[in-house]
Amino acid sequence: MDSKSVMNAITSKFPDIHFVFRESDIRITGRVRAAKVVEVCQYLKEEVEFGHLCCEFGVDYPERNEIEVVYVIGSYEHPVILTMKAILPRDNPEIESVVPVYWNANWYERETHELFGVQYLNHPDLRPLVLTEELYGEWPLRKDYEGFPNKTARNLV
Amino acid sequence: MDETVKPSEMIVHLGPQHPMMPGPFRLNAKLKGETVVDSEVDIGWIHKGIEKILENKTYLQGITIVDRICYLAAITNEEAYVGCVEKLAGIEVPERSQYIRVIVEELSRIQSHILGMGEYASFLGFVSMFMYTIRDREDLMSLIDSITGARITHSFLRFGGVKQDLPDNFANDVKYVFGNIRKAVDQYEELYATDRIYKARTVGIGVVDADTAKDLGVSGPPLRATGVAFDIRKDEPYLVYNDLDFKVCTHTDGDVYARIQVRLDEIRESMYIIEQCLDQIPSGPLFPEGTAYGRRTPIMRVPAGEVFHRVEDPRGEMGFYMVSDGSDKPYRVKVRGPVYPTLQTLPGLLKGVPVADIVAIAGSMDTCTSEVDR
Repeated sequence: MDSKSVMNAITSKFPDIHFVFRESDIRITGRVRAAKVVEVCQYLKEEVEFGHLCCEFGVDYPERNEIEVVYVIGSYEHPVILTMKAILPRDNPEIESVVPVYWNANWYERETHELFGVQYLNHPDLRPLVLTEELYGEWPLRKDYEGFPNKTARNLV
Repeated sequence: MDETVKPSEMIVHLGPQHPMMPGPFRLNAKLKGETVVDSEVDIGWIHKGIEKILENKTYLQGITIVDRICYLAAITNEEAYVGCVEKLAGIEVPERSQYIRVIVEELSRIQSHILGMGEYASFLGFVSMFMYTIRDREDLMSLIDSITGARITHSFLRFGGVKQDLPDNFANDVKYVFGNIRKAVDQYEELYATDRIYKARTVGIGVVDADTAKDLGVSGPPLRATGVAFDIRKDEPYLVYNDLDFKVCTHTDGDVYARIQVRLDEIRESMYIIEQCLDQIPSGPLFPEGTAYGRRTPIMRVPAGEVFHRVEDPRGEMGFYMVSDGSDKPYRVKVRGPVYPTLQTLPGLLKGVPVADIVAIAGSMDTCTSEVDR
């Protein structure tokens, strides 16, 4: 299976997934509506053999007032890796959790929540994971975070 | 985990500092008598914020930072990071440099497996095995030291090449060391296979089947021990792995014993890869000719774009996702470590096992907390 057939399979089922660009034969990047993420992931896992969630994380774009949640999904059967982005408003980033589909998204979502402030709906256990309690609510990986490096990594930078 | 305990139950906190743990993480286990009813992993004790630090460093400075993600796999972390930048900037690495990178990465894989295995044996109380492995690993560290100039945090790769060429007489040193390591690995295997206590504690313990392992997102030796031949070096070849002959080591049992066995087989396979590299390595420049890239690349700007590059770490799939906005610093770097999903599976695996097996199962995953916390 190569990226072309994967793209065709996905667009025939979900015409509103917008493929931005294709890096090479084994990498594709697509944009998905936030409301449809779980449905699309379900389809990817069951029909196109995308059974391996490589990672899930956020990217902050303050000048566009957006937070992107990026899902990098690979497979154990074929070499194609799909990078799927859901774009959320920065003031109220909310998205459905994909834990019911990809079990290992659990920690990735907890981490994205405490580093970027993305709210995952229907997540089984959305507690902070890596940071100390005092830092919760400051969303340190956002670009406008002012505590770095004085508050977080004074000895390192 | 539900914190309420019934009269016959109790909660035991293992860690964050505990002799069995390769780094600080806490395991809260709810016990009923000798049996684990439920458990929970608590991480973040050594969270370094490497993703944030990388955003504030230039691309070249970042190389020394990614070394610190996991000291046992420093060179593969560098490879993933440098590979991202090379893909974004379109840098071609000369063939000689690619071979040198493969040699260092495989040496690093061997020493990581040897230490992981020896440490694991000491968790089970087999401390003499730990002493054997530490002794034999020292020769490998000297080999790595002779190429890179450092034992654990190498800062050896550069964009488009490597810092230094192989030292004189390197092939002879390798021949001498590998002769010893081959004998040592055979000896380890025999010791493991003939030790009744070791076998009683590992065979049939912590069994994961292939479908569950895939579902849990595990990669590396724990996955290959279940019979899935998933190896980035084969599935998505980077560097010169396409020109090298090696097989993906798998086992079908999926238990603790199989995980250690996979590592032993991989040590042999890696030695075979290095010997091929030394036979095939061409002469030539270390950096692409006619470009500005070299040992001391000045501040470079990388074209805007996004890339995901993954390599095979000693522990599994190591991937970097890099977003560049065209400036001299990366806009966002996501480190996808192999142990992160593996450590997540522990509560499920520990359900219903006796307390003594917690160490046997958790240790066999070869966890590196430094990399989980980043």
